[in-house]
This record gives sequence, structure tokens and C-alpha cells, in this order.
Amino acid sequence: MKVKGDTPNKKLKFRHFIRRGWIDLWKGNPPGPFLLSISIAIALVMTIPILYIVRQSFRANINDWIRLVDNRIPELLWNTLSLTLSVTIVTIILGVSLAWLVHRTDLPGKKYWKWLLATPLVIPPYIGAVTYIIIFGRSGWLRELWNSSSFLLSSIGSYPFDVYSFSAVSLVLIMFTYPYVFLIVSAGIKKMNRNYEEAAKSLGMSAWETFWKVNLPLLRPAIGAGALLVALYVISDFGAIATMRYVTFTAAIYFQRASFNMSSASILSIVLILLTLTILAIESKTKKHNKYLQTANSQRKPNTLELGKLKIPALVYTSLVFFASVILPLAVLIFWSLNGLRMGAIDSRFLGFAFNSLKVAGIAAVISMLLAIPIVYLKSRYPSMMSKVIDKLSYTGYALPGVIVALGMIFVFNNHIQFIYGTYFMIIIAFLIRFLPQAMQASESSLSQVSPRIDEAARSLGYAPWKVMLKVILPNIFPAVFAGGSLVFVSAIKELPATLMLRPPGFDTLAVRVYFEASEAIYHLAAPAALLIVLVSIIPLRYMLSKY
Amino acid sequence: MNAIELKNVTKTYPGSTTPAVNDFSLELEKGSITTLLGPSGCGKSTTLRLIAGFEKAEEGTILLDNKVVSDKYNWVPPEKRGIGMVFQDYALFPHLNVYKNIGFGYKGSDKDQRIKKIIDLVNLEGFENRYPSELSGGQQQRVALGRALTNRPVLVLLDEPFSNLDADLRVHMRMEVQQIIKEAGATAIFVSHDQKDALAISDKIVVINNGKIQQVGSPRVIYQFPSNDFVARFVGQTNIIQGVIGEDEYTAETPLGMIPCYHNHGHKTGTPVTISIRPDSFELDPNGSIEGTIVSSIYTGESIDAKVKVEAENKPITILTHIHPEKVVTNGDKVNFKVLPNFVAVIKSDS
Repeated sequence: MKVKGDTPNKKLKFRHFIRRGWIDLWKGNPPGPFLLSISIAIALVMTIPILYIVRQSFRANINDWIRLVDNRIPELLWNTLSLTLSVTIVTIILGVSLAWLVHRTDLPGKKYWKWLLATPLVIPPYIGAVTYIIIFGRSGWLRELWNSSSFLLSSIGSYPFDVYSFSAVSLVLIMFTYPYVFLIVSAGIKKMNRNYEEAAKSLGMSAWETFWKVNLPLLRPAIGAGALLVALYVISDFGAIATMRYVTFTAAIYFQRASFNMSSASILSIVLILLTLTILAIESKTKKHNKYLQTANSQRKPNTLELGKLKIPALVYTSLVFFASVILPLAVLIFWSLNGLRMGAIDSRFLGFAFNSLKVAGIAAVISMLLAIPIVYLKSRYPSMMSKVIDKLSYTGYALPGVIVALGMIFVFNNHIQFIYGTYFMIIIAFLIRFLPQAMQASESSLSQVSPRIDEAARSLGYAPWKVMLKVILPNIFPAVFAGGSLVFVSAIKELPATLMLRPPGFDTLAVRVYFEASEAIYHLAAPAALLIVLVSIIPLRYMLSKY
Repeated sequence: MNAIELKNVTKTYPGSTTPAVNDFSLELEKGSITTLLGPSGCGKSTTLRLIAGFEKAEEGTILLDNKVVSDKYNWVPPEKRGIGMVFQDYALFPHLNVYKNIGFGYKGSDKDQRIKKIIDLVNLEGFENRYPSELSGGQQQRVALGRALTNRPVLVLLDEPFSNLDADLRVHMRMEVQQIIKEAGATAIFVSHDQKDALAISDKIVVINNGKIQQVGSPRVIYQFPSNDFVARFVGQTNIIQGVIGEDEYTAETPLGMIPCYHNHGHKTGTPVTISIRPDSFELDPNGSIEGTIVSSIYTGESIDAKVKVEAENKPITILTHIHPEKVVTNGDKVNFKVLPNFVAVIKSDS
């Protein structure tokens, strides 16, 4: 009897304990079950493909492991790391020098250079690569020009450039990623206080010494942040390196999967994931430790340095970078697009590709807007360890290369959810996993402007929580959510590797066509699609510039 | 009839060991204006949020209009409590104009009439189509108050409503808000850390410190007869001195001599007590029994806040006095005072 009497009481106590713990976890304010479960579901979808890759790599054939570790992995590591290092170093030199010239010297036209030098961001590197192949490639313009000039042939010899080389790949990646360093360092220079420089001058340092001993160390956090962004991009890039026939991890994974060696693909993926995580870890560490507190008061604009005799060389240097990263690629694209137009490239086939791009990117953008809201709302209105974890998990696919997200999805859907496998919904899901955080970031910054008191005011006036979200929060953050959606749209239009790996047979998008036509040197078909992608990419440029 | 009743309400925030609101019991009549007054962090805002339903109490009962809205077994969410709330930052909906802000959540068939009536009540005719960002601070406050009144709430809660207004507007809005609430026949609870706000608008003041109620009473009672050391010091300026109840029980023997003291908590002759004397109780009088020297004085316009050193028995004590501003005093002046009985009270000393 006694035992029986005790049990329900104990059970009740246990339930009370769990309830109390749950409420404490949410700091006294637990979210509704609907909001919580939908957020958890989204976070899981974002993570499962990656976890599946980890699982597959552990179950991979041990012989594959031995073969790859002995041979292929060291080679790929060398290819990937040497490329990453050289691109990062040169982008730092370019980015810092250009930012310094534009913001601190009397460079002619600096007001315009500030914007112009950021514009390479609208050209996806694989499209940049295509234009460089058109100019410098084996059947490119320059080679024809060279071979038709007997003077060059006799004085220098045969055509010296090889577009499928390490230095050419580096050059292309540098030209289209240096704006990251340029923009972040520019922001750092603008924040720099004149007092430090004057202190250095008063201690007898020359302008050159001041730059090395005062300015550069103060800019180190900005340089580091920009360089890490570039490094992350280089190890994740597939389009540019594949177009230029260079093989890093991403390309190797792609080709292993193309030859259906899934075991090897998963092993290479796990190495690439570790590589990415290492860079991310360095990033979060430097973010924490490398912030110099510059005194905020008595902020004065730094003086402008006179270039003097260096004015002309500086102008030539700036123009050259702009020419190589914007004018040249755009001129090539426009020229070949006009050619294509004349040759009837804009036909129903082309429109079909454009429509496919529009369809998958559009659907992904709309869904991303819908999914971003609950996660962001949960994070902002119900702060707790749990909402933080959900938020962080949602960034998994954003941080990792598209090739890996696609491979993970192939594993999951081919094995478990076959009715979606082989439809274009695979591409849409991949876009969501890759780009949802872009929609989240935009919505989050807007929601933080809306005071939680607004929610409470609506509650006290008789609105249930879900109604508050629809009738009060949504109208206030909608412009930002929409902006986030359009960022996702543009990223999706540009996306190449996941689309390539997941598209159903015959489902080609603009990005996919650019890749294939260019690899077969049918430039008049590649150029119009590429130009269209570049034009779409201009849409969010203003937003991206204001972010840095 | 009580609009609201709190019985032994206690709330401890997760991660904290001391309760933010500690064993609170309070009853407020319909149609009254009450202020919860206390320093920041004393638990007054938490009390307001418990009543509104934005926080849950773990102990005690809350009744609204004689219906339980919160106890161990019942919980009514904020949207079903019928409470109007005016927030410190007003929390007006930025995407809605004045008309729609005020009508937000009103479900009656006379919506248009009701909104117009409220707009009339809060003096905002002609501003119906403005958005919150296009209004001044005082106008935003009126919208917030109007919005809280539209639904004919049982109770209106106002969280530090005047703290964002500058001094002139503040005095004006105090009167106006009080008048609007009375006109609407609403019951209201204000939260404030400003004694002047509290004294000006309230029928009843609840002084709170460290999550506990210190004293409940009318503004006059709170000011004239603070019941303990905290209330005496927090509401206005005061002098605290030790004394002994005199022979007729309406005087007290102190280092300043025999002073009148009617408010004595029934202490008998000979009991040692702590006494609060407001600066206003000291009046300049050439024949006054207290003699002292002015040590320092500040001219505030409304009065002269003067510190006076009085040679009492063997050690001197310094008292704060208010001197009528038309007088001219300089440091070192010899002055005589007498004590008026109205602002003298025996207090319970905080141990």
C-alpha cells in the first residue's frame, strides 16, 4: 500500500522538477510548442546532410581510406592550401593598398574608385574564369593575335600564357575576391583615429614609418577578417577552379561522385569539412582577441596624404586592377552576347534555362523568407541556450562548400526519401540549406529594432502570440525579410556546384549552361547566360556594400 | 469593490536566489489611482508585469475584478486579462497611424465611434492619420494612454510613463493623464521611481523596497508620517534623530529639546524612538527654542535648503531646513527655529 501511495507523488515531483527546469532553461518564458517545433525541424534539416556525410565517412571502405591518405589527400591538400595561401596573400596586398590609396591619399577620382573597386563582387568567379579563358585560352583572342604577329613570335617565341595553370587560377580568384579585403579594410581605415598618427609624428616618425608601425598594426583585425573570408571562399570554390581545370578538394569530390565512388567522396568531404572548420575556428578566435579598442571620443577625420610624384603610378595601378577585374570581363561578355544575339542564341531553349533558374531561385527565396521568421523570432524573443543552438545549427550549410551540402543531400535522399530524389526540389532544398542564413541575418537586424514591448502591448490588447507575429511583427520587419529573400534569390541564381550535382536530367539552369558551354568553348551561348547572371547580381550590391 | 487583489504573491527570477517580489498583498479599489513607488530594481515593475501576465508568479493569488487570473492551478494569458498597458517607451505600433493604434484590438461594433471618443478624450483630434514617428513625446504618450483605454479595461497599468518627458511637459502630462483616467472612470496603477510623480497623481501610494511593501497610504500620509527609515528618506528629504516619548505622549524629548510629535504609533511615555522631521517642519522664528549656525545653503528658487549646525547637549548635530526663499541668509548667520508638528513622525527604524 505504502509503495503504491508513493509512486504518483514521486511522479508528480519528477514532473514538477522537469517543468521547473524547462522554464528555467527559457529564463521563465518558454515559447509555444508550435514555434519551437518548427524551428527545431528547420535546424535539423539544415544539419542532417552534413551529419550524414560524417556517418558515411566512418562507414567508408578502409581500403579507400588507406589509398586516399597515402596518395590523393596529400596532393589535394597541397593544391588547395597553396592556392588558398597565394590568393589570400595577394588579395591582402591588393585590398590594403587600394583601400589606403582611396581613403587616405589625394588619388584623382577617389570618390568614384570607392565604389568602382567593390564592383567585382557582382561577377561570380566562375564567370570571371570563363572570360579569362576566352581572352588568354588556347583558342583565345590573345593567342590568335600573338600568332599573327611575326614580331612577337620571332622576338619572344611561341605564345607564353597557359590559362590552365596555377598562376592563372590564382589570378582569376584574386581579381574577383580582393573586394572582401578592400571593403573591410576600408571600413577599418575610416574608423581610424588621427590622434595615433599625430602621436607617432610627434615622436619623430616619418609617414612611411607611421604606416608600418601604427596604421598597419591597427588595421590587423580588419585585414585578418577580410583574409579569412577570402580563404574560406577559395577552399569552397568549385566553379572557377573546375572551369580552369585545377583540382582542389571540391573538384575532386565532384569528380568522385560523378564516377559514383561515394565512399571516396565522403572521405574527401570529411577532410574538407575539417579544413573549413579550422579556418572558422581561427576566425572566431581572432574576432574575440583581436579587437583593438580605439578611443571613441575626439574622433577626427585623418588627414589626406599627398601622393606627389606617385600620383600617376598610383592611378595606373588602380585603373589596371579595375580594368582586369571589371572592364575586361564585362567587355568580353557583352561582345560575345552581341555575337550570340546575332547568331540566334536567345531562343526558346535559352528562355527555358532562364525560366528554370527563375523557378528554383524564386521558390527558394520565398521559402527562405517563410523559414527565416520563426528561427529569428525565437532567437530574439526567447533567448536561451536552446534558441542559440538552433540558430547556430541553421548556419551549418552556409559555412560549408556547396559540393559538400549537395553530396550530403544525395546520401540522405537517395537512401531514404527517394520520391524527391531526381526532382528539382533537390536544388531548392540545397539552396535553402546553403543560403537561409542570408535571409535570417537580414530579418534579424530588423527585428532587433522592434522592441519586445511592442509584442507585449499587442498581447495586452487581446492578441494571441501567433496573431502578434502575423499582425504586428511581420508588417514591421517585412521590408528586411524581403531584402533577405532577394539576397537568397541572387545567391541561388549564381550557385553552380549544388545545382550541377543535384539537378534532374535535362534540367539546366543559366549557371549550369555557362559551365557546360564554356567547357566546350561555345562562347556565344555561354556569354548571354553569364551576362544575365551578372545583371541579376547587381540588385543586392548596395545592400552588400552597406554591410561592410 | 476591488479592481485587483494580490494575495501573498512571490516571484523569483530563474538564476536569482532573492525574490524580486516577496510576499506581496495588496487590494485596490475600483476607480482609484495607485502608484508603486520605489528605487530601480525594487520589484515594482515586476509587480506590474505579474499583474499584466507577462511574468508568472510561483506563489500567491492574483484576482482581477474578483476573478482569479493567476494562482497555483489557474493561469490567464495577457491577451485574456482585459488590462490596458502604457509602456515606458510607449511601444506604439510603428506601422499603424494614430487612429489604427488606438483602435488596435477593439472588437465592438461601435469601433469608429469608440475610437473617435477616445481621440477626443486624449485631445488628439486632427492627428488621426499621423504615424508615431511624426508625433512629439507628449502626443505619443497620449496615443499610448488612449490605446490602453479603448477596450474599457478593468485596470490600466502605466510603467514609468513620464520618465521620457522633459521637465515642463512632465508636469503638464501628470495633470492631464490623471484627468483623463478619472474622466474615463478607469482604475490605474502607475510604476514610478519619482516621488514627485507619485505624490502628484496618486490616491494611494505603495512604497516598495527590496521586493517588499514598506508602506501603503495616501500621498499626505506617506509624506507626513513615513512609517520607517526607508520611506522617510526615499520620499522627500528628512532629518532622522533619536528621542524619548515625553510625558503627555504628544511630545518627544530629543537633542533639539522638547518637540511636538503627534504621530507616535501609540508608544508610551519614556519609550526611546527614532523620529523623522521633514525640513519643512522647521520654521524661522526669532523666539524659537532651537538655536543654530548656518553651515551651507542652496537657493533652489522654491526655497533655501540650508544646513544648520545646532549645539545640542555635548555634541553638535546638523539639520536640514527649508527657509522661505524671500529671506536672505549667509553662512555663519545665527538663526532660531521652532518645530511645527505636521511633519514629525515616529518611524520604525530599519534594523
